Amino acid sequence: MADTVIVRIPTALRPQVGDQESLDVAGSTVGDVLSSLNGDYPEFGKRLYKSENEINRFINIYVNDEDIRFMENLQTPLKAGDEVSIVPAIAGG
Amino acid sequence: MNQDFERYHRQMLLPGFGEAGQRKLMDAKVLVVGCGALGTVIANMLARAGVGHLVIVDRDFIEITNLQRQVLFDENDVAEGIPKAEAAKRKIAGINSQVKVEAIVDDVNHTSIEKLATGLPGVGKVDLIMDGVDNFETRYLANDVAVKHGIPYVYGGAVGTVGASYAILPHTVAPGETGNSEWEKLGKATPCLRCIFEQAPPPGVNPTCDTAGVIGPAVSIVSNYQVAEALKILTGNLEVVSPTMLNFDLWANVFKQFKVARAYDVGECECCKKRNFEFLDGKFGSSTTTLCGRNAVQLTQKSNGQKLDFDEIAKRLESHGKVTANKFMLRADITDNGEPYELTLFNDGRAIVKGTKHANVAKGIYAKYVGA
Repeated sequence: MADTVIVRIPTALRPQVGDQESLDVAGSTVGDVLSSLNGDYPEFGKRLYKSENEINRFINIYVNDEDIRFMENLQTPLKAGDEVSIVPAIAGG
Repeated sequence: MNQDFERYHRQMLLPGFGEAGQRKLMDAKVLVVGCGALGTVIANMLARAGVGHLVIVDRDFIEITNLQRQVLFDENDVAEGIPKAEAAKRKIAGINSQVKVEAIVDDVNHTSIEKLATGLPGVGKVDLIMDGVDNFETRYLANDVAVKHGIPYVYGGAVGTVGASYAILPHTVAPGETGNSEWEKLGKATPCLRCIFEQAPPPGVNPTCDTAGVIGPAVSIVSNYQVAEALKILTGNLEVVSPTMLNFDLWANVFKQFKVARAYDVGECECCKKRNFEFLDGKFGSSTTTLCGRNAVQLTQKSNGQKLDFDEIAKRLESHGKVTANKFMLRADITDNGEPYELTLFNDGRAIVKGTKHANVAKGIYAKYVGA
């Protein structure tokens, strides 16, 4: 599993990935990893993407602890062992 | 030591606190928006810490299902049918009589929030806004007011086993101008909530505490973290306010501190950079109409045109009562606090809540069972 990254799935999207909290996914950019997930779990992709190349704006993606919008967005490069967190706005309280 | 300050001795021992810090707390005015799971912990801890003047606003009444996590309330409050803000005020009176509390039982919306934060008689402009809210529309309103008037705002949110919090020390002027706030002078201004989450989740997308559940520790951790940030801000320890957003999942054993500083530098925020206060101006958000003679209220959402996912919403509401849906509308029977309601949702987010004439009640039902 040397070339995979860990993707953390938020609670709301876990039913769409077989109730997994995190997945090991191969890919060299954030876009690669997410489209690979989208291929395996289309229902997950439907909720994540606004359009083909755009993530819904109430969901943020972080690589380790940095927001991809302020790096290279979906082109942000990944290296083995990186952690990709999918973080929706949390509304409850 | 000032006799009145004896009870605060243990916190005054902290470096950067002392009698001077305690004096600042005693002189501080804080608006607590929402008094549910987050808000009760916030109000409780701020009162115990000796924050001198609290304004607590909430539109709701206490239900038996609140007691599992809403720490200021008890069975008597449920039996007596006391509004949350009022019950909180009564409890705090017995916890710390040095603290003044204004209890306001009302909806927070774009017509009311500015007055709550800056113009209540006997209070004036508050020093801090604390987020005890259960929906994103009200959070963006709080964020707009905070940025427009230069009031720090501490966001918190929790659902299920997850939570998030982040302290906003707002930019008070457009980029290129020099702001006069203490935090701007120290170079400590932070991105606002809209820098980080550009848009609210559309109705029905996010789970709510009433549909997906929530455990007490998730809300307690978030709200106590918010209080810690509040104590730093109010005692003037601005240099130690966290510049990151806390995010955790207690069930997955994941704690994160996400970096957010670049959201202001690189982003094009409508609110804190362009100074467009769209929620405060009523451009986004919901409006309500009482439907004459029908014991029903209509809620209209000004959203981004996204269609509701009826399958998903139906799944969440099934545990509350009968749900039927076709491609145009979803209808659900909901019993809330012992009262029966019929919720009809249209796929553009519009809703009719039958069983009440009161906009506050209808908005509460929508926030709890659909989520916005």
